[in-house]
Amino acid sequence: MTTTRNEFALPDVGEGLTEAELVKWHVSVGDTVRVNDVLCEVETAKAVVELPSPVDGVIGALCVAEGETVPVGTVLVTFGQEAASDAVPESVTAPEPDEQAPTVLVGSGPRAPGARRRHLRPRGGRGTPRPAPGGSDRPRAAPPVRKLARTLGVDLAALAAEAPGGVVTRTAVERAAHAKTPAAQAEPPRETRVPITGVRRATAAAMTRSVFTAPHVTEWLTVDVTATMDLVAALKRDRDWTGVRVTPLLLVAKAFLLAIRRYPEINSRWDEENQEIVRQHYVNLGIAAATPRGLVVPNIKEAHRLDLAGLAAALDRLVTAARAGTTPPADMTGGTITITNIGAFGVDAGTPILNPGEAAILAFGAVRPMPWVVDGEIRVRQVTQLALSFDHRLVDGELGSHVLAEVGRILHDPARAILHV
Amino acid sequence: MTIIPVHHTQHETTSSAPPVGGLDSVAEQFVQLVAPDGTLTRQGEAHRLDLGLARTLYRDMVLARRFDHEAMALQRQGELGLWLMSWGQEAAQVGSIRALRPSDMVFPSYREHAAALCRGIGPAELLAQWRGCVHGGWDPTAHRFHIYSLVLGTQTLHATGYATGVAMEGTDEVVAVYFGDGAASQGDVNEAFNWAAAGSLPVLFFCQNNHWAISTPTSRQMRTPIHRRAAGFGVRSFHVDGNDALAVHEVTRQAAEHIRSHGGPALVEAVTYRRGGHSSSDDPDRYRAPAEVEAWEARDPVARLRTLLEEHDTDPGFFAELQAESDAFALTVREACRGLADPHLRDLFAHAYAEPHPQVERDRRDFLAHLAQAGSVV
Amino acid sequence: MTTSSTIGTTSSLMTMGAALGAGLRSAMEDDPRVLVMGEDVGVLGGVFRVTDGLHKDFGDRRVVDTPLAESGIVGTAIELALRGYRPVCEIQFDGFVYPAFDQIVSQLAKMRARSAGRLALPVVIRVPFGGGIGAVEHHSESNEAYFAHTAGLRVVACSDAHDAFHMLRQAVRSDDPVIFFEPKQRYWQKSVVEPDAGLPLDRARIRRTGTDCTLVAYGPTVATALAAADAAEEDGYSVGVVDLRSLSPLDLATLEAEAERTGRVVVVHEAQTFLGMGAEVAAAVTESCFYHLEAPVLRVGSYHLPYPPARVEDQFLPDVDRVLEAIDRSLGFGEA
Repeated sequence: MTTTRNEFALPDVGEGLTEAELVKWHVSVGDTVRVNDVLCEVETAKAVVELPSPVDGVIGALCVAEGETVPVGTVLVTFGQEAASDAVPESVTAPEPDEQAPTVLVGSGPRAPGARRRHLRPRGGRGTPRPAPGGSDRPRAAPPVRKLARTLGVDLAALAAEAPGGVVTRTAVERAAHAKTPAAQAEPPRETRVPITGVRRATAAAMTRSVFTAPHVTEWLTVDVTATMDLVAALKRDRDWTGVRVTPLLLVAKAFLLAIRRYPEINSRWDEENQEIVRQHYVNLGIAAATPRGLVVPNIKEAHRLDLAGLAAALDRLVTAARAGTTPPADMTGGTITITNIGAFGVDAGTPILNPGEAAILAFGAVRPMPWVVDGEIRVRQVTQLALSFDHRLVDGELGSHVLAEVGRILHDPARAILHV
Repeated sequence: MTIIPVHHTQHETTSSAPPVGGLDSVAEQFVQLVAPDGTLTRQGEAHRLDLGLARTLYRDMVLARRFDHEAMALQRQGELGLWLMSWGQEAAQVGSIRALRPSDMVFPSYREHAAALCRGIGPAELLAQWRGCVHGGWDPTAHRFHIYSLVLGTQTLHATGYATGVAMEGTDEVVAVYFGDGAASQGDVNEAFNWAAAGSLPVLFFCQNNHWAISTPTSRQMRTPIHRRAAGFGVRSFHVDGNDALAVHEVTRQAAEHIRSHGGPALVEAVTYRRGGHSSSDDPDRYRAPAEVEAWEARDPVARLRTLLEEHDTDPGFFAELQAESDAFALTVREACRGLADPHLRDLFAHAYAEPHPQVERDRRDFLAHLAQAGSVV
Repeated sequence: MTTSSTIGTTSSLMTMGAALGAGLRSAMEDDPRVLVMGEDVGVLGGVFRVTDGLHKDFGDRRVVDTPLAESGIVGTAIELALRGYRPVCEIQFDGFVYPAFDQIVSQLAKMRARSAGRLALPVVIRVPFGGGIGAVEHHSESNEAYFAHTAGLRVVACSDAHDAFHMLRQAVRSDDPVIFFEPKQRYWQKSVVEPDAGLPLDRARIRRTGTDCTLVAYGPTVATALAAADAAEEDGYSVGVVDLRSLSPLDLATLEAEAERTGRVVVVHEAQTFLGMGAEVAAAVTESCFYHLEAPVLRVGSYHLPYPPARVEDQFLPDVDRVLEAIDRSLGFGEA
């Protein structure tokens, strides 16, 4: 309550006011006042209001001076004990405010957030955490603790049984991690697990699809490519070819394209759904490339139209993009035939798996100096192995052999390419 | 300064079908039986003067005014958070409510303290919400007087809905709704006019035009008088001096009769004045001229009726007794206010929903747990 | 109350209400298209005196006392905006915004999108919100969540005089509609307004740094949070306080940084906890900071009841004790 028998405090007279200035007293000490006689005028932020006396009585003291600004709740005036005969009876005083309700005034405006009764428990003084509800078998732990356990290779389930409240703490995880023997600590983990995602997953799917759909046959040919290597060296020295990236792979690609031109049936695909073999009259030449993310096979569109310089540029772009991981998605689809340069790894030959949807793939091995028979004598020549895998549903051994042999012939004697120009 | 217009329009022609708007609905004339100086007007002389009624209305107004002033003082003493005076509007309220049957349902806004007292609502019930103890201080069904609506104009739709029920049941109950000039700008009020008129519903719209909506005068609030606007919607409209209790009573009686004989809704615009500010937080000196306030003081409803009664040989003992009754009543009001029990939040959780609501249950448990922990240190 | 129009180059001590008035005045001086409109904002100067003095200096045309119709205030402001004006509407109290809700949600929020970006509605709607002033029904609501949930609106809440001044100016300059919430229990409280705004409209302010727990608050509960942080300090804990300021959009970057620093977050608002702003903060912070959190994000709001009568509002609204209880609970999760 704002008012006891003896005091009158400044109420909030305007929905949230915090203070008022006492403008004028209408009474003096010793005056007898009746209920509702005007005691004073106060000025708030909103208005000037008159404050009437809440009781009959005699003015004991004026507690605020004229012109003074005081906060809501300040005692303005006190009353003496003598009261007029029809004073407010005792029974009128309001019941004790509920213990829970703070001692504030009616409509007393904004109260300071202040007075607290609650205290925080001291660190470590919270004892066992509340057991978490629910009957799931999964061990319970806070997210960061869970992650920590995974990183340290600690099994949460094993710790959950002894965890207080069923919740595994960070300390428990760390303790478990260090509980291994020192020797064991020095040993590297026995296994490392890598999730199967992204490129790896795609590659696996493609390989599986290819192998189990197309009957693969691989043929080998060992070729003396000294003339090709000389040509590469010569072009590298040639001023007209400055800035063009000339590599053995380039010449192999060109040779393959020329062979395809001669035997175009190799550039086909098996259309199971329509029960047709589709012979493509364009060559989108795929080049298998090893990238940080894995094996990708971008292709050069319309490779059959490119001259050697054009092919070189396209190949250069392709390889650069593949290494940087910036191959555009359009380049990854629509390939019709592929070369895989396993020679770059120092390997001679292999049995490459067809790029799904294609009928043939040429593997090009490392070029090594090897003893070779030239004109009846043993000479050191630049020798390489070529391997051609093909889909035996649509490519017979005869066709495959012709193509492989043709590539070999061109690489053995690049001048023969003139015959195809 | 506002001039009270006096209209003399054509007489209403009765017909069985409710008219669709138009002049048939416009008020015939501005009704005033007792002039501000306490003498009878020409209309008043033609009308039979009921001194018994005058004494009843006078007593109602005196007690209402005393209650109102006591409540304002209590607010200034910190016993109420807010108070909205009905000072100046006593005649409009008691004149109208006394012309209705006790069984007629009434929907007030938030300033109809004089009407509430006439309906038997006690001071404690009336003050409880302004003290912050409750949101609705009394049982609406016990007094046929709805709890106060603080959202402006909303009660006009509520009354219209209630009247729909009455119409379906076919009784001759009148559903009265009080609202002010400012509230009449709200969409809800205009919807209610149209809805009631279109459905010929038994609603008595009672507008106390007290000329001010906080600081907005009626000249800014609207371009045509409310009784003319309502008539345009097809509501039979009356225009009366709201400070003339006897005139208000007579007009309300006529309006109620119109409604009870299935004539459709009616509106009474009672022209009165808000003597105080909008509320205890307001400062009307900021926007009202003293000359205007003085002019309306001269039209006071209580003084005018006293003069009339004195001129008609009312026993001075009547006034003396009434003064004593008023003084005692003031004390009752004060005691009632300070005797109001403080509520506790724990009791309010049960009031939010009829059927159990898990969130409310959880919150109630949390609240109790919080109380139990207060002041504790583990 | 000061009537200075600009804060100028020095700091000024003023009430939050005066700061809002000064912000409006300065916005009106900067741009003749800025209008103020609402009930009792002109001659009276507003029921909280925020617009005091503006009508005298700017006249009827720019400070408009409207008829008593909230739907009308917002509806007409929308078309004024389309005509090139920048209206600042005042809704007298939070509980009276509902007649205007349709205009706000169906029109104000949607017009730009509806017109594929052609029509701009730079309207500010000022709403005094929150309780704690012992008021009657409908005068203590916290209904910010309805508006923050509505795409197309920006929603902000100031907590002191400095932000009141600067944020209001920024809101007026924004080409988006802004619902501007003002904690009415702080209108009369004085604090310093610095000349430099310091932050744009859509950022949160770190009021206090801490290492054990972060309190997130806005509007009236910022002071509550700061008081709780002081109390926690007495008990030996370091608790930080973030003043959200912007409810839509939420400044997630600041929230995430603080959540990562302490691992414990408690949101404090006056609005009912159930489906209040705290729910969005909790979901967003949990999602982005999952591995940094030591405890779930807790929320301290009011109970799922309509705002009660004034005499029990202190039991209803979150206070320092309830905030401390939440901090304690947060600290209790997964303690090693």
